[in-house]
Amino acid sequence: MQLFGQILVNGILLGGLYGLMGLGMGLVWGVLKIVNLAHGALIMLGGYALYFLYTKAGVDPFLGLPLAMLAMFVLGYLLQTLLLNLIVRSAQLNTLLLTFGLDVVFVYMAQLLFTADFRTINPPYAGKNISLFGVTVPYAQLGAFGVAVLLAALLYLVLDKTRTGRAIRATAQNLVAARLYGVNPKRIYAITFGTGAALAGAAGGLYGIVSQITPYIGVTLTAKSFVIAILGGLDKPLGVIGGGLVLGIAEAMAALYLDPTYTDIISFGLLVLVLIARPAQLLGRA
Amino acid sequence: MNRFRWLVLPVAAGALAAVPWVTSDTIVQYGINALLVATLAQSWNIIGGFSGYPSFGNSVFYGLGTYGTAIAMAQLHWSFGSGLVFGAVLGVACALLFGIPILRLRGPYFAIATLGLAAVMSAIIATVEIAGKNIGLILPLFRGDTLFYELSLILLVAATATVAWIARSRFGVGLVAIREDEDAAQVMGINTTMYKVAALTVAAFFSALAGGIHAYWITFIDPASAFDPSLNVRMVIMTLFGGPGTVLGPVLGAFVLSAVSEVLASQATGVASLFYGIVIVAAVVFMPKGLLDVVQGFRESRWRYFTDNIRRYRL
Amino acid sequence: MTAPLFEVRGLTKRFRGLTAVSDVTFRVAPREILGLIGPNGAGKTTIISLISGTLDPTAGEIIFEGRHIERLPAYRRARLGIGRTFQVMKPFPGLSVLENVTVGALFGTGGGERKRKRAEEKAREWLRFTGLERRMDQRADALGGPDRKRLEFAKALAMNPKLLLLDEVMAGLNHVEVDEVVELIKKMRDKGVTILVIEHVMKAIRRLADRLLVLHHGQQIAEGRTDEVLRDPRVVEAYLGKRRQ
Repeated sequence: MQLFGQILVNGILLGGLYGLMGLGMGLVWGVLKIVNLAHGALIMLGGYALYFLYTKAGVDPFLGLPLAMLAMFVLGYLLQTLLLNLIVRSAQLNTLLLTFGLDVVFVYMAQLLFTADFRTINPPYAGKNISLFGVTVPYAQLGAFGVAVLLAALLYLVLDKTRTGRAIRATAQNLVAARLYGVNPKRIYAITFGTGAALAGAAGGLYGIVSQITPYIGVTLTAKSFVIAILGGLDKPLGVIGGGLVLGIAEAMAALYLDPTYTDIISFGLLVLVLIARPAQLLGRA
Repeated sequence: MNRFRWLVLPVAAGALAAVPWVTSDTIVQYGINALLVATLAQSWNIIGGFSGYPSFGNSVFYGLGTYGTAIAMAQLHWSFGSGLVFGAVLGVACALLFGIPILRLRGPYFAIATLGLAAVMSAIIATVEIAGKNIGLILPLFRGDTLFYELSLILLVAATATVAWIARSRFGVGLVAIREDEDAAQVMGINTTMYKVAALTVAAFFSALAGGIHAYWITFIDPASAFDPSLNVRMVIMTLFGGPGTVLGPVLGAFVLSAVSEVLASQATGVASLFYGIVIVAAVVFMPKGLLDVVQGFRESRWRYFTDNIRRYRL
Repeated sequence: MTAPLFEVRGLTKRFRGLTAVSDVTFRVAPREILGLIGPNGAGKTTIISLISGTLDPTAGEIIFEGRHIERLPAYRRARLGIGRTFQVMKPFPGLSVLENVTVGALFGTGGGERKRKRAEEKAREWLRFTGLERRMDQRADALGGPDRKRLEFAKALAMNPKLLLLDEVMAGLNHVEVDEVVELIKKMRDKGVTILVIEHVMKAIRRLADRLLVLHHGQQIAEGRTDEVLRDPRVVEAYLGKRRQ
């Protein structure tokens, strides 16, 4: 029972981080109808950004996170303005292709600049943990979980309460109508994609704290972000966090009760089943 | 140009067939890879290009074809021919079994579901005893790249001929109608479910055969290489680059991109892929409708074709 | 009345919380033109979608040529001879006008033509019939409003339907164009097609419809000969609100 509790907590903590990963992808997908195959690469780049902030500039990771997010926001903003906006009205598949190309570029730039060495962000408190009801909860994981949930809540509030957030939601529903109401689509698109990149960057930074970064972590993470975003309903922040939790717990349980090699079967099997079993809910979003 | 269109395929095929006798072994090997991946692109073209259902998991059929042939030859000691048939049967069965539920999904949801299917199948095979689990299988050795080259060429020609037939047939019109507006297509009398499943099955058939040929050629297979996920993106990109929904587009795209990739790979490892990525990005921005459309569009409006595209599709 | 071509009994459609169509019953005789009118949101397009198979009924029966079709998928109904136009027009955007209509000829009643060439010839005839001949090779999404209507028409006609469901084909047309379309519809009836027309343009309905069915909030409030129904005070009230005394 002890072990079950520990695994459950591990799953929840991981799930929060997963949710954060899904957040950025779901936002961009739901609002801009762009399926960002470079999402995992953005996570990876965010991880490196925080890593270098910590190792070169000595900034505490949790404090450096906003800086890393800002850098990623700028990157995302530029990507949308200079590249994605050029093809947004052509076939949806083209955004898939473009982001795939970007992914290739990012991964190999990272490989060239940072080498394939494993990097971890290891602040002094990383090894410590607290014990709650007999379950060990590492500070780093707990912090990451907290930040993830915080960001999700922030995103939800921004989308719901602020003018920009409303503009984003209007654009998601009906671009033409939004234009008529004075929304500047280019700016909103760029802000949205920038936000998605910032969230990915945050996830990457946190990932660097609780795990290791290489140029290649993006591939699986993009795929997982798909799953999580779909489970959560794309641009619904609270739902996506929920989706992340589901995946995190499912993976943790699978690792405990089945062979760890089954984790992929679990996450993707879950995805396929969800898609097949509840098509009606999702078809409307297509 | 139109009158001679019929000569293009046989002449090109003939020229390609002669390649092993006039070039080096390396080129023949590159050729086999290029021909097989072109077959994959052409297969994807049927479900993605014509029907508008962008599968990101066609590698599952390739992988099943690979494993079917490998199991048949390495474990059951069947002949190559029987092995290929077995692989094709596995691929087709998968398309029929999973096609119906998954083809109910649209757009990116369909794409993700196929991606999930490929990942699940790959993971499952890695646990199956007779498939050699994670270690893989070793097939009987056959020396003779030329034979594999010609076989791959025949397969590509068969796939392209099939697509050519589809493009002019009633079946093809139905697929295109489904792509353009599925609801309208249904209301006009097209059994969309059957058509989509048929398209997926044909794609699965050729993909599985490609996998089978590849398996016997390289002699050793394992889940990672058989269900290689990068194949999916490559076949999609090659088709989109060359021109989806056309007959020769995927072949063109596959040959061009394979060549680019090979040439760059011989320079430096990382840099090659970097350029590959940049080429893709540039191609999508300037040629969103594929290479074949460029050829036609260039004839009409010269360099303005590229800027026109941007103007039409920008936000 | 001769045996009806087509009959609907107790047709009901509920979406979550909203009853779009409630217990509608009517018959249509062969070669008859039945008009379906009512204020916006009355459920007219829903009825057409239920008949064509785009939507499934919550309850009720639909009988076409003596066969129950309420459980048949849309494509089977098309093959039986039911064709429809869409209010929000749905051409196949990337295809040419000719290709659009060819689809109808290839897949319509009885499974349509088997050979593409034959289907194209038929498509050309329908394009001539609807006056779209000159636009044959243009992309469908490049057409202007009235031409899009004609295309929608031509696609449905190319299916050789026995029952044609027209959804507000006159919307946005000027007087001359309305007259043209009315003539077209009459010619179709002369060819033997039975027609169900949803319309707001009263002039057209008066000239076309033998009988009228009036819907309001999903319920049928009147049915009968055109001139009688149009004088029915309930119908007037539904459209204009209560008369001020």
